Amino acid sequence: MPKCTIDGKEVEFKAGENLIAVAKKVGIDIPVFCYHPGLSVVAQCRMCLVEVEKMPKLQTACSTPATDGMVVKTQSAAVKSARESTMEFLLVNHPLDCPICDKSGECDLQDNSFSHGKSTFRSHEERRTYVDVDMGPVIEKSMNRCIHCTRCIRFGDEIAGIREMVAIQRGNNTDITTIDGLPLQTEYAGNYSDICPTGSLTLKDFRFKKRAWFLKKVPSVCTGCSRGCNTELQYENTTVHRTVPRFNADVNQYWMCDEGRFLFRDTQSKDRVVEPRLGAVPATWDQAVESARQIIATAKSVVVGLGSDLSLEELALGQTFAEELKKAGVAVTLGSLTGAVITTEQDQPLDALLRRADKTGNLKGAENLGLKPISEQQSAKAEVLIAVTGGRVRVPASNGRTVAIGVFRAQDTEKFSVTLPLAAFTEKDGTYVNFQGKAQKARRAVVPAGKSKMLGEVVMVLKNVQIAEKVGA
Amino acid sequence: MSTSVAPQESVLSPKFYEAMKALEPQYPRKTALILPALHQAQSEFGWLPKEALEAVAQYIGVHPAQIREVASFYTMFNLKPVGKTHLKICTNVACVLRGADDLVSFCEKKLGIACGETTPDGKFTLSEEECLGACGTAPAMMANDDYIENLDIPKLNDFLERSQHER
Repeated sequence: MPKCTIDGKEVEFKAGENLIAVAKKVGIDIPVFCYHPGLSVVAQCRMCLVEVEKMPKLQTACSTPATDGMVVKTQSAAVKSARESTMEFLLVNHPLDCPICDKSGECDLQDNSFSHGKSTFRSHEERRTYVDVDMGPVIEKSMNRCIHCTRCIRFGDEIAGIREMVAIQRGNNTDITTIDGLPLQTEYAGNYSDICPTGSLTLKDFRFKKRAWFLKKVPSVCTGCSRGCNTELQYENTTVHRTVPRFNADVNQYWMCDEGRFLFRDTQSKDRVVEPRLGAVPATWDQAVESARQIIATAKSVVVGLGSDLSLEELALGQTFAEELKKAGVAVTLGSLTGAVITTEQDQPLDALLRRADKTGNLKGAENLGLKPISEQQSAKAEVLIAVTGGRVRVPASNGRTVAIGVFRAQDTEKFSVTLPLAAFTEKDGTYVNFQGKAQKARRAVVPAGKSKMLGEVVMVLKNVQIAEKVGA
Repeated sequence: MSTSVAPQESVLSPKFYEAMKALEPQYPRKTALILPALHQAQSEFGWLPKEALEAVAQYIGVHPAQIREVASFYTMFNLKPVGKTHLKICTNVACVLRGADDLVSFCEKKLGIACGETTPDGKFTLSEEECLGACGTAPAMMANDDYIENLDIPKLNDFLERSQHER
């Protein structure tokens, strides 16, 4: 393998790798604004200038491929001075509104200014100002903060496949905008906020909700479709505030769609049922469990439907529960409840990027466990339907009685005999198998809302395992 | 696939599409035709209305925003209607050193408009222009497609008087 030297450290690299990527291998961070590993290289912000021996001028690390024997300095006096100048230039029009800016605390401009900028500023010119612009349901633009890195333009053009975000005018008057400020059309608008290196493009949903440094973070997996985008849930105490994509080269790269990004809102909606119910009437767990056990105990046959939006662990637990019912002499029909897409063969991509037709997170996992979809006739004719879902699957209509265990909205529960509320995907650990067959782990961010419980606990109380009696207490 | 026939709905004339058809083989990609297409479209209206930009976008096969981006970058494309004579006075270094600022304020005073505006009678539009490449004959300006060089106030005054009375 060819080798080059960066700040005295020898690094091996693959032909074609740029200096930013190569430097990263030995723990050297070169500051960047316009460069993003998922986008094309334009070398226009000039922040990544480095000194390369035998080259007369400083080079932009993002657009300079490493060559064998190259000697690179990222900390020389010339480089430091260039970074200071670049920072000063980029800040010429930037307002000092970090105290009220949502990006504050996770802002490339702030961080690079702190690490590489000067504490003094020579410009006395008036800064250009714009009015904030609403760019549709997802993004709000504060043009005052923009440094013209064009990441958003390239994201639209190269990744989202729609060049709706453009740079109008030129020079100091450059305005990053859509045509006449029309709302963004892409289904991936949230990514504009993720890749913006300043607070120029902010998520409307997150705006002014929480300072970034208060957020705790857990790795999760999106259960909004069979893609299984790797995500990070950002939360504080019992509230999830934001979902951002987590890099996975094989699944979602750096991106995620808006539907998946805002999926967590359903779990915190006022509409979600977080207490047990008998019909539409709230009840205690004791009452609801007693009622459910009676319904199951008096039935000759039950249909157990396990949602393809549940985790592998929950599906396996549901299977065990069904087996035990069988042993107890109940005729059990076990299968899966799915979304509009019933089998993985019908699951098609919805666009060229990420979104897929199956809107549940674990259809492949359910199939791998041998679960066959329950037909409409089966559920309609069931004497008792035990439906377990994670919130993405619709419980089919049944002429018999329905014991629904899952994440539901108030209007869903009216037709159920008993509703037992289950933890949502943000509230539990679990494994989901995406359409590629990759089993991916999601971690729990917050405690189950209200009186909802984990499926394990629900199954235990349903089976009426009276541990206290067994141990003779 | 391009067509030599104008689409039914297009605001651009069949001449536009014929001209583009003739130019196409000279360019490596269709997006490289954006500038000539904008020039051609502007020649039909004197400026570039929104509908014309959309027709160009449709012809090139890109999002209309991308056409707007290009058209707004270059000062020779007018995104607002302009007067019969469009005065573009260079205000880059060489011309300013030779008195271009005075020429601009003279025009503003004489025509009673600010830079970027059009006279109410629709005869003149006044704009500042970046370097016209005529530094050797500074100060210079363009009046529509013509260069007028080695300007001074009397010369400019003469030109304005003549244009004022032209029909």
